[in-house]
Amino acid sequence: MQRSEPIVRTENLWKIYRTGRVEVPALRGVNLEIYPGEFVAIMGPSGCGKSTLLYVIGGLTPPTRGRVLLDGNDLASMDDGARTRLRRHKVGFVFQRFNLLPTLDVRGNIAIAQYIHGNGYDPHRFEVVIRLLGLADRLHHRPAELSGGEQQRVAIARAVINEPRLLLADEPTGSLDSQNSAIVLDMLRELNRQLGQTIVLITHNPEAAALADRILHMRDGIVVDGLPPD
Amino acid sequence: MMGPLVLGNLTRRPLRTAATAVAVAVEVSLILLVVGLTQGMVREVAKRIEGVGADILVQPPSSSVLLAFSGAPMPASLGQRLAALQGVRAVAPVLVQPNTSHGLDLIYGIDPQSFDALSDGFVFHEGHGLRQPDDVLVDDWYARARHLHAGQTLRLLGHDFHIAGVVEHGKGARIFVRLDRLQELTGARDRVSLFFVRCQRPELTPAVMEELRRLLPRHQIRPVRQYLSLMTATSLPGLDAFVQSMIGLGVAVGFLVIFLAMYTAIVERRREIAILKSLGASRAYIAGTFLTEALSIATAGLGVGLLLSYVLRALIVHLFPTLSVEIAPPWVLRAAGLALVAAALGSAYPAWLASRKDPLEALTCE
Repeated sequence: MQRSEPIVRTENLWKIYRTGRVEVPALRGVNLEIYPGEFVAIMGPSGCGKSTLLYVIGGLTPPTRGRVLLDGNDLASMDDGARTRLRRHKVGFVFQRFNLLPTLDVRGNIAIAQYIHGNGYDPHRFEVVIRLLGLADRLHHRPAELSGGEQQRVAIARAVINEPRLLLADEPTGSLDSQNSAIVLDMLRELNRQLGQTIVLITHNPEAAALADRILHMRDGIVVDGLPPD
Repeated sequence: MMGPLVLGNLTRRPLRTAATAVAVAVEVSLILLVVGLTQGMVREVAKRIEGVGADILVQPPSSSVLLAFSGAPMPASLGQRLAALQGVRAVAPVLVQPNTSHGLDLIYGIDPQSFDALSDGFVFHEGHGLRQPDDVLVDDWYARARHLHAGQTLRLLGHDFHIAGVVEHGKGARIFVRLDRLQELTGARDRVSLFFVRCQRPELTPAVMEELRRLLPRHQIRPVRQYLSLMTATSLPGLDAFVQSMIGLGVAVGFLVIFLAMYTAIVERRREIAILKSLGASRAYIAGTFLTEALSIATAGLGVGLLLSYVLRALIVHLFPTLSVEIAPPWVLRAAGLALVAAALGSAYPAWLASRKDPLEALTCE
């Protein structure tokens, strides 16, 4: 089967954090490819660089070395403004702690992504997304008035409202009970199957990872799948 | 969409928002009241000078535009020579003496006949004119402020005067005594501070001034109209510096309070800034959010400040009837501009800082 061009490709990707004179390498030469429509889970122990990889792929922070191509655009060669524009149009984030804006209600939290995207409020897309995520009766509630599961559904709605090419989910079930975790994972699975949404999911949970098309394992800042055993 | 976000952030910390707005209100009120008081007082004095009815003011060489600082270096007899000039209708010699027993007031020592001839006489609310040596006239504002009536005793310059009458305000000073009595009390026998000169017709003023300058080449000879234009807060020595200092202080208060409020908000909202960045918000959008917040607070403070200024003006005038506070529209606009500029400057650095926050810092501190 001939595959299309990868939506994400990293080549010898390094990310080193500097604290004063101390250098802490979080990524040590990651090579991976993610294709459109794929649902990829990344697993690994805490501190192995999973979240850093997600933030670098999503353009929230630049790599220290190597290349990261997002839909053909090399993030390593872009300045902050260009990465911001690319993120605005091609990436949606879902975080473990939901990260909703506490002063806005559900409608505001979702709509703000549309306004920042630049095309303004699109009522049709808005309706489709809130119906898909079962949020129609929660639109005027603020985050503090919602359960964890509902908050995460709002975060997913906000992430996909602009039809991003890539959805990056950083342990989206990490703060949820098993019932709500199952609901959120089902929704991600539905988004992938029904709408063809490309998803990269960071998780510690093997059951969550099992929903993905492909599982990548990380250790000590590298993807270990396909590497010869130590 | 920035509107609900800004509104939400402002209402999230209502006390801080209110306190910041009040600080801006204090800034605006400080500017308007300080300027209003100085302008009001100076213009009120100027109006009273105008109300005397003279066309020309003759003062000694190098004398101050402030009559309180005038002294008494001119011989009273000079008045006869001035009255003899062609085109002169009346000349009124005045000895000016500051009275500091209850604030700062000027006492005019006048010759009742010549002063009446020049000024068309006083309008009496109570009593009569200066008949006896120890008679004193006070104007209605002074009488109201100190609850005085004709027939009472008023102690001035260590001497008990009899209040002969209460007159309509607007004839130079608030307190009038006989010239000879004031000369005696101040040790300035036969001396005066200034001469009011009234021409037979206003259009003769330039010609009479020419004559006066020939007669008294070193004296200050000013048309009253010019004198009025000189009596502004910005043209009086020291007063302008004082007013500018108070304005600077007000702007500094507004700047610092906005700066602190916005800086605190940024420290507190690191996560929200990171969320906006993860959504692809530009630096301009994030900075704009904070600038809009600061300007919204400043606008609210401006409204409260204007209201507060008018309330305080009413209170000041009620408590101190001899004071005059002039809140002029140009200064309202200037105070508004200063408040908004101070808010914009105060929030500029925090907004810039917010736009450059590393989103990872906040997102990874879970």
